[in-house]
Amino acid sequence: VGKEHWRSLDELADTPEFRTLVEKEFPGLAEDLLSPQTRRAFLKIMGASLGVAGLASCRWPKELILPFAHGPEGRTPGVPQQYATAMELGGAAIGLLVTSYDGRPVKIEGNPLHPTSRGTATALAQASLLELYDPDRSRQPIRREGGQEIPQTWDDFITFAGPHFARLQADRGRGLAVLSEESSSPSLARLRKRFAEVFPEASWYEWEPLSRDNEREGARLAFGKPIRPQYHFDRADVIVCLDADPLFDHPAALKHARDFASRRRAEDGTMSRLYAVEPVVSLTGAMADQRLAVSAPMVEAVTWAVARELSSSGLAIAGIGPGSEPADEGIRNFVKAVGRDLFAKKRAGLVVAGSRQPAVIHMMVHRINDALDNAGQSVSYLDDAGWSYRPTDREAIRDLAQLAKAGKVATLLILGGNPVVDAPADLSFSTVVAKVPTTIRLGLFEDETSRLCRWHLPRAHYLESWGDARAWDGTISVQQPLIDALHGGRSPLEVLAEVIGEPVTSGYEIVRSTLKEIVGGTEFEGSWRRALNDGVVANSAFKPVTARVAEGTRNVTIEPVAEGPPLRSDTVSVIFTPDPSTYDGRFANNAWLQELPDPLTKVVWDNAALLGPDTAGQLGIKHGDLIKIKRGGRELEIAAYLMPGQAESTVVLPLGYGRSAAGRVGTGVGFDTYLLRTTDALYSAAYAAVEKTGRTHELVCTQDHQAIDRVGYQERGTRIGELIREATLAEYRANPGFARDGQASERTALFASPGLTGEHQWAMSIDLSACIGCNACTVACQAENNIAVVGKDQVARGREMHWIRVDRYFAGKPEAPGVAFQPVACQHCENAPCEQVCPVAATVHSDEGINEQVYNRCVGTRYCSNNCPYKVRRFNFFNYFKSIPEVEKMVFNPEVTVRGRGVMEKCSFCIQRIEAVKIAAGNDRRPIRDGEIVPACAQTCPTRAIVFGDLKDPGSRVSKLHADQRSYSILGELGTKPRTRYLARLRNPAPKLGEGS
Amino acid sequence: VSTIPLPLLDAAEDPRRRPPLVLGDNDFATVTEKVCSIVERPRPPLAWYVAFGISSSLTALLVAMLGYLFLAGIGVWGLNIPVGWGFDITNFVFWVGIGHAGTLISAILFLFRQKWRTGINRFAEAMTIFAVICAGMFPAIHTGRPWFDYWLFPYPNQMSVWPNFRSPLLWDVFAVSTYFTVSLMFWYTGMIPDLATLRDRATTRLRRIAYGVLSLGWRGSARHWHRYERVYLLLAALATPLVLSVHSVVSFDFSVSQLPGWHSTIFPPYFVAGAIFSGFAMVLTLLVPVRSFFHLEDLITTRHLENMAKITLATGLMVAYSYGVEFFMAWYSGNPYEKFTLMNRALGPYAWAFWIMFSCNVVVPQAFWSKKVRTTPWNLLVVSVLINVGMWFERFVIIVTSLHRDFLPSSWGYYKPTWVELCTLAGSIGLFLTLFLLFLRFGPMIAMAEIKSVMPAAGLERGPHRGHGQYWGEIPHQHERQTEDRQP
Repeated sequence: VGKEHWRSLDELADTPEFRTLVEKEFPGLAEDLLSPQTRRAFLKIMGASLGVAGLASCRWPKELILPFAHGPEGRTPGVPQQYATAMELGGAAIGLLVTSYDGRPVKIEGNPLHPTSRGTATALAQASLLELYDPDRSRQPIRREGGQEIPQTWDDFITFAGPHFARLQADRGRGLAVLSEESSSPSLARLRKRFAEVFPEASWYEWEPLSRDNEREGARLAFGKPIRPQYHFDRADVIVCLDADPLFDHPAALKHARDFASRRRAEDGTMSRLYAVEPVVSLTGAMADQRLAVSAPMVEAVTWAVARELSSSGLAIAGIGPGSEPADEGIRNFVKAVGRDLFAKKRAGLVVAGSRQPAVIHMMVHRINDALDNAGQSVSYLDDAGWSYRPTDREAIRDLAQLAKAGKVATLLILGGNPVVDAPADLSFSTVVAKVPTTIRLGLFEDETSRLCRWHLPRAHYLESWGDARAWDGTISVQQPLIDALHGGRSPLEVLAEVIGEPVTSGYEIVRSTLKEIVGGTEFEGSWRRALNDGVVANSAFKPVTARVAEGTRNVTIEPVAEGPPLRSDTVSVIFTPDPSTYDGRFANNAWLQELPDPLTKVVWDNAALLGPDTAGQLGIKHGDLIKIKRGGRELEIAAYLMPGQAESTVVLPLGYGRSAAGRVGTGVGFDTYLLRTTDALYSAAYAAVEKTGRTHELVCTQDHQAIDRVGYQERGTRIGELIREATLAEYRANPGFARDGQASERTALFASPGLTGEHQWAMSIDLSACIGCNACTVACQAENNIAVVGKDQVARGREMHWIRVDRYFAGKPEAPGVAFQPVACQHCENAPCEQVCPVAATVHSDEGINEQVYNRCVGTRYCSNNCPYKVRRFNFFNYFKSIPEVEKMVFNPEVTVRGRGVMEKCSFCIQRIEAVKIAAGNDRRPIRDGEIVPACAQTCPTRAIVFGDLKDPGSRVSKLHADQRSYSILGELGTKPRTRYLARLRNPAPKLGEGS
Repeated sequence: VSTIPLPLLDAAEDPRRRPPLVLGDNDFATVTEKVCSIVERPRPPLAWYVAFGISSSLTALLVAMLGYLFLAGIGVWGLNIPVGWGFDITNFVFWVGIGHAGTLISAILFLFRQKWRTGINRFAEAMTIFAVICAGMFPAIHTGRPWFDYWLFPYPNQMSVWPNFRSPLLWDVFAVSTYFTVSLMFWYTGMIPDLATLRDRATTRLRRIAYGVLSLGWRGSARHWHRYERVYLLLAALATPLVLSVHSVVSFDFSVSQLPGWHSTIFPPYFVAGAIFSGFAMVLTLLVPVRSFFHLEDLITTRHLENMAKITLATGLMVAYSYGVEFFMAWYSGNPYEKFTLMNRALGPYAWAFWIMFSCNVVVPQAFWSKKVRTTPWNLLVVSVLINVGMWFERFVIIVTSLHRDFLPSSWGYYKPTWVELCTLAGSIGLFLTLFLLFLRFGPMIAMAEIKSVMPAAGLERGPHRGHGQYWGEIPHQHERQTEDRQP
């Protein structure tokens, strides 16, 4: 409370330049509303292509996907059904449960039976639904001949491929290469074996721009065998993350977040303590109790210092020689605190290194965990036979490029991926593709890679095709299609089977026979049906092993890196990170994700070079400046964003933007940071020069729409402590009711409010100790409630439509800020200010305590929004759905009205879900069980921070949470009596380091 | 002590004498001639055409902007969340405020027996009507779905839904529509004798019919006068509370909400004072050029202008006091949100708007302490135009600065108008001026019958009424004399 808060360094310094900037904020009034760059403009274009969509989906389905003319027995039309499937991203699967209305998937949720997901899903997984209906997806095979595009059919391709691959087979596959994404699919592994048999001299390469190779190599170095570590944050008292973001950027992030949050609520009076050492600001770092921002090369030094600190406490950590102490006192104290805590909490500590860190760091981390006896407790190991030695992605793509450039590749089959965009820039993959006479590309879109290949084949979306994949712990999920291929695409499995010349090329049969091999048994049909129903194959996880650091590697001495030469003032180190919205660029054409604010920067429809405040100050760079980053003869022009808390002398470059052929949504959005990424610097590069260009770029944020002036900045600082109440664990123990201190008691009302007489009284509780700011709730809500995407120009005007937003505030010093997240949706005030002022009674209170918005009564005076203290109401300034292509309309949830122009909308507590359960319970003549009604946001929240329920039931979770000591309402002093209450955030800083380190 | 008689022509400097309200060598006939000739001349002067050309073009622009708005949606304006109201409601409150001067002059000054009002009341009432037309347009077009605006009226319907009687916007509907109705009736009733004069002087058939229909068969009989004066008195009594109530209700739009900067008990009197302030400024703005252009200095004397300047100054001081009280209350209440809102107004991103408002509404009117300024028409014009600008900005500042930064800093935003909003504002000024120019051309812009009653020839200086002003209903012989003088 009372800390200084700021938004940008400029703001804090209040430089004259910044003042001019603020002054300049006042308008060029004549700005044209409808510039052709807008979403509205491209929506118009979209309209043109819709007719084809309907026709293409008429292919008569085969196998178990039956047309409704032969409806399954017992099926009621209009009643949604859920099917389990799985989505693979970067070689690991998340189990999903997809809701389907009359054969039309409309909502993706996590599969409750899946070990990673347990019912939750990431923003990316949920938004992949929109990708299914993307009107830009390719609709037919294309052959390119002498600069001409010739539309083809699959039969044409097979006519070509049959003899072509037969010839290659005769030649033992010489000159054939396959480039695929990383995949955990057992079926693909099986077909690859067949492929190797058929084409013994062919080569297969895997390339994933964001791989976890370093982790894999580190484990191999440490244990001498393929091992996959599994983290158990629920069993860890002390967590040390070294440039790692296990809560957000990890194949098992959902599980990590869930486990982590379970130790943050201090229900038994204890909490875990999270230390983070990182050059970037990650969501894990934002949750850290102690966070140390160090430049990328220093992470290694800190790791080393921690090991040495532990070793000096008497732990036997192999291979540690003497070294110098870190020069910086802050770092030394931090390292001491980490060492002390880890040593004190032996067997309950956990050290995690991130995928950007080199293999030796991972090896060191394994040694530390081993020495602390954490193995088997907070970290366990799985035998990952599938990881048997294969080249790293870096080696693979380099080898392929060399081979192709040497003219030794005659046929290149690219299954998925987009190497022309995301392969290291020094390989210039477009020339590689040009070198190969026959290139065949299977892709969802006719993207940059396909446009250079001789054959483009439309890929079936994962919701359209059969497949299988393993979760991070190895559990197999069957990827079950929800709908027949809309545009006649095929899956990599089917194409590969065709290429090999398998007798069976149907995905269904391929997956089924793989499973048959794995599961075996006489009762296969039963197991198969069970696997489809549950979404997971029972007992298919990798075998746990009790791995100790291998003797043979104990004495490998890791050379500690020096602290690194002092960086020149105009050079910086560069870090490449996945983008929370586009990941590696594959989701660039997904409008839900483009409009999803970055969790930390809140930027939409763009990526930006993130710079530490001081560095930017030294370089004279301000928010929104276009800067030039030069590295080894390559250069990149990108907008700058000043990120509080980021390490100095570091530029963070999120990948996945600046696509030149992403589609109508993603083309030309943001900046292509792959331009600077080379084989020797896939994740970070030590030296790069930064220059100003003197030009600026408009970065649009959903929060802090405008640069803030001194008055507003100071006021925000004083308010945040009230809005986000937080205390340290010690303070909480001393005064558990701290959150309600200073909260004006519910004032005596002058007038009795009409009693809420409903049988149920709905309410929500949001735990700020658990919220990691991951935005999954926002996407869930967008999909569930048919929320419009409005485009960059509209967001710039402050018209984003999200019903639930995650407010992000910084507190403390700009170098080491505290970050706090606060999801805010309609608070469903019992005494709602919006209701009183609506002249036509379009927003009214239900007797069950829900603030209802009646769309067809709303005339759109916007008075309700003006009078809403939480500003959660959203207005349809235009008809944002006016020219949506037919295929995109299939994504709408039929249970929720699609709002037209001129009406107000807002969170309804997912009233359609409430009613559905009420009807079902009513039919069964039973009471509604607590937890039976789950709004979309609560359903998907990985940390279960959002809880919904009935206050009339004293035993319900929400009743208990509302009675919790930590519970408070925001702006309760206004007398609005919000039904959504927050649980104050707890932090557990190291006693000797103090808050914010 | 000897007194030196001075030629006091156009001022109340001699406290022993009431100065004449009509100057020059005028009698009833010349007054009639002066006023009617403006309407009766075959074609208006070129300047009228120029002014009408400009204002009707702006009106056409308004129509185009409304067409665009209805076709595309409210998004063509710059509004957003959190700033749900911008130019639309600013213009509404501005125009409603303008209207108040007319009703004040015609009704309240009538009841207070302020004889000088007769020179300007018709003019001011007309301004009221046209301002309320402009004002009423904005709430109707600012909705997201204007085609359902009629839902704001309580009418029996198949949906069995009443409007929400707790909403100040609904009160607005009643207040503004009542105000418009009463103002219109008041204006029209007062105009009937003058329309009859125009009818009687009409030289063309069209005029005879038009004015004949409009004058409702007025023959100037004693019974007519009696009824007329009763009705006029009653309407004045009805309109008087409306002067106070309408803008109070408009201010409820803001004060009933919970938004810092809006939620304030001072708003009703503050808004009424502001409305009269801006209304008088607008009367001055229009009167000064019209008076000089049509050579009406005898009827609309410098004393009229000075009186209006004095009222403007008085209400301006009330407005300034209200500004002060807002800041005082923000500090004294200890409400941090209120305090911030006021600080943010004066020093935040919209400080430029605040200081325009402050200069125009607080600093500039102080010029009216000077008699020279009060009595120099073109000085009056400059000051009154600035006050109009200031009062427009007052509404902008109240609405936008309060909205753009309310409670949660995460939702703070900024509003800038689009060209559509700027053109709509310009168009509403065009509509106002167009209606006004049409009135000047076709209506009796000075209340002839009333002004005659305050001329010496009416004989009201004598008898029991000396020094008390007149009450038409009780002066039987007045009409006998008047009818003798009047042309049939």
